[in-house]
Amino acid sequence: MKKKGFLLLMFAGFILLLAACTTSTGNEGDEGDDSDSEATEENDGSEEKVLYMNNGEEPRSLNPPVGFDSVSWNVLNNLMEGLTRLGQDDQPQPAIAEDWDISDDGKTYTFYLREDANWSNGDPVTAEDFAYAWRQLLDPETGSSAAFLGYFIEGGEAYNSGEGSPEDVAVEVVDDKTFEVTLTAPTGFFLHVLTNPAFFPVNKEVAEENPEWYAEADSFVANGPFKLESWTHDQEMIMAKNEEYWDRDTVNLDKVNWAMVNDVNTEYQMFESNELDVTEIPSDMADQLINGDNVVIEDQAGLYFYRFNVEEEPFQNEKIRKAFALAINQEDIVDYVTKNKEEAAKAFVSPGFTTPSGEDFRDVNGDLVNFDPEQAKQLLEEGMEAEGYDELPPVTLTYNTDEQHKAIAETMQNMFSENLGIDVELANTEWNVFLEDQKALNLQFSRSSFIFDYGDPVNFLESFTTDSSMNRTGWSHDEYDELIAQAKQETNEEERWQHMYEAEKLVAEEMPIFPIHYYNQVYIYKDNVKDIVRHPVGYLELKWADKE
Amino acid sequence: MLRYILKRFTIMLVTIWIIVTLTFVLMVTLPGSPLNEERTTNETVQANLEEHYNLDEPYYIQYLLYIKSIITFDFGPSIKQPTETVNDLLGRGFPISFELGIATIIVAVISGIVLGIFAALKHNGIIDYMAMTIAVLGISIPNFVLATLLIQTFAVYLGILPAATWSSPMHMIMPTIALATGPMAIIARLTRSTMLEVLTQDYIKMARAKGLKPWKIIIKHALKNALMPVVTIMGTLLAGILTGTFVIEQIFGIPGMGKYFVESINQRDYPVIMGTTVFYSAFLIIMLFLVDIAYGLLDPRIKLHKKGGE
Repeated sequence: MKKKGFLLLMFAGFILLLAACTTSTGNEGDEGDDSDSEATEENDGSEEKVLYMNNGEEPRSLNPPVGFDSVSWNVLNNLMEGLTRLGQDDQPQPAIAEDWDISDDGKTYTFYLREDANWSNGDPVTAEDFAYAWRQLLDPETGSSAAFLGYFIEGGEAYNSGEGSPEDVAVEVVDDKTFEVTLTAPTGFFLHVLTNPAFFPVNKEVAEENPEWYAEADSFVANGPFKLESWTHDQEMIMAKNEEYWDRDTVNLDKVNWAMVNDVNTEYQMFESNELDVTEIPSDMADQLINGDNVVIEDQAGLYFYRFNVEEEPFQNEKIRKAFALAINQEDIVDYVTKNKEEAAKAFVSPGFTTPSGEDFRDVNGDLVNFDPEQAKQLLEEGMEAEGYDELPPVTLTYNTDEQHKAIAETMQNMFSENLGIDVELANTEWNVFLEDQKALNLQFSRSSFIFDYGDPVNFLESFTTDSSMNRTGWSHDEYDELIAQAKQETNEEERWQHMYEAEKLVAEEMPIFPIHYYNQVYIYKDNVKDIVRHPVGYLELKWADKE
Repeated sequence: MLRYILKRFTIMLVTIWIIVTLTFVLMVTLPGSPLNEERTTNETVQANLEEHYNLDEPYYIQYLLYIKSIITFDFGPSIKQPTETVNDLLGRGFPISFELGIATIIVAVISGIVLGIFAALKHNGIIDYMAMTIAVLGISIPNFVLATLLIQTFAVYLGILPAATWSSPMHMIMPTIALATGPMAIIARLTRSTMLEVLTQDYIKMARAKGLKPWKIIIKHALKNALMPVVTIMGTLLAGILTGTFVIEQIFGIPGMGKYFVESINQRDYPVIMGTTVFYSAFLIIMLFLVDIAYGLLDPRIKLHKKGGE
């Protein structure tokens, strides 16, 4: 009996060993491939330029009309190109369209596509490819979160809401290389909107043959600076220079290798051990690293802010809202809490939006929310008196669970206690629950953020109109709604911006939300990496990037 | 034996059914929805999406659809990664987690047992103290701390191992060590204490009296009995490690299936939640079953088939 048992034990051990062997032989095969490719890299290493980057995780979808997340779009922006592309100066430049006409009423755009604009399989990029992709973006069956970007196009919103037909979407294929689009209103920033990946074309012929063309590297057709060479899902992606790209001579890199490591600490360690050329800064190391030599800090248009629920006591009172806003010292938060060199926000629209006269929106409209504990205290008293409060109703500040948000919330709690003598309770919930509660106006006072989708202040400002699903404060103001409506329709640019200045001032006066900091993007680059472009609004550009 | 297996199999199906039902109830009572995005799409689009994923059906229909998907083992597309089916995700992640898991188990079991035996034989000696210090450290240092320390030492300072990702056997070394240390420590401690107990038993004295060689006594007589507790913990250990671990996979950028257990719940990706739950519970139950069989083989006093029969 004992012998039998021992034999079986041996057998079990043997099985384990066998399993180990099979897995390791599997690996040896892999290793063989790897060492081959490494060898080739080393052989012609003098010529081949490979940039090693990390993109965190598997992109949600590389189908341009579907994506709508920065992981997908950072990749897609380099694989594809729309009618326009943001240049190194962050302004839209001719791309697949080499030229365009704009009608006198500013509503009709006629784009002339480049004769030499081709897909990576050699097909020409046609007007039909754009019409096909844009209709797919607006198709209610596609269910794209980016569809709202297409509402600038006449018939776009109706089709997306199931009230119109695809034919009613005002995109017209004049001929193979001429594409015409009519907008609902003259939209001065439309050329900027077009740089968004949601407006990239889709090779109609390929897509009709294989609806999932974007899911694998083999079937993926690109029309941008790079093409997709290989894609091991969840693991890595390799892009290679696209020889069919019209501006291929500008592209310096031969390959871009994307890792998918979803941990900033590891990313930084990979950078340290020369496995990556670019890294973010782990938040707990910001103190030590942010002042380093190769750290590049660039603006990212967007705002970290707090929403009041004006339907809940005590925030129905404007003065109490203002008191809370003015009791927060934004400078201290960026200096001592986030420590990431963000700019403290003294207003709502982030810097970087150029007015028709060439100034910065932010400089023109100035600081609107300045830390002032004295005034805050006084406003609180006035507000409480107006509402007949002897004691302020309890206030709960809610944020979605995250260390950084927690640190900011705790600092704010301190500031309220110090500057207003109010004890604010903190609560946190997981993101999905938080979002649902915020949308349903279940939260009294909650953390928020906004990142710009296109380069015009109205993108953010229109969030707070009465009907906007982004409002989430219960705040409704007729004058504000009117100002935004005009800011979206006005043909005279000067006046249009005037409406936006006024709208922003109105937000500061009524204070349904208040600002904490603008966003930035902080990366460390290796010495030999040059010209990676990151726009304040827009996505990563490797078209000009180089490695020496 | 066959009867026993049949009985176990039936219990297994019932257990999975209970797990699935509980998971479903918890899942739908959880606030939030897979279609809850920062930017709300319009009502028509929302309705289309709900229809597409059967979220517009009453709960009992949704429940039945899930049961059907489990029976056919086809969980449909992931809601958050619309181009992938749940089967794609599991089929891709599981072999990788399994590979890492097997390596971990081998390292943990072999080193744990060896450490345990030496500690027991040199009871209260220097080797014992050293082995148990390693074991205590192994239990008390969380594996993610160890993982970061390993990367910092071997990848950043020494530069002899790749920091992360998953493309060659070299990439396996650090995650294996990080994962194996905890279980190794537990196994070492278990082996030591049972070994100490077994060594005082009469049959060991008897074997000694017969004049058997010491290593033969240990391997043939003592170790087999000392391994019983180790086998007991192997079931859960195997299931836990072979199906992937969220933290280690995240730190090392390993494309295993560990992340789906956590992310699918955060994202309310219902089909993926169901897929991972069923997969894990079936796997765990099978492992426990194998452990029971291993008992019978190791210890003839345990008769499996009699349990059910009489």
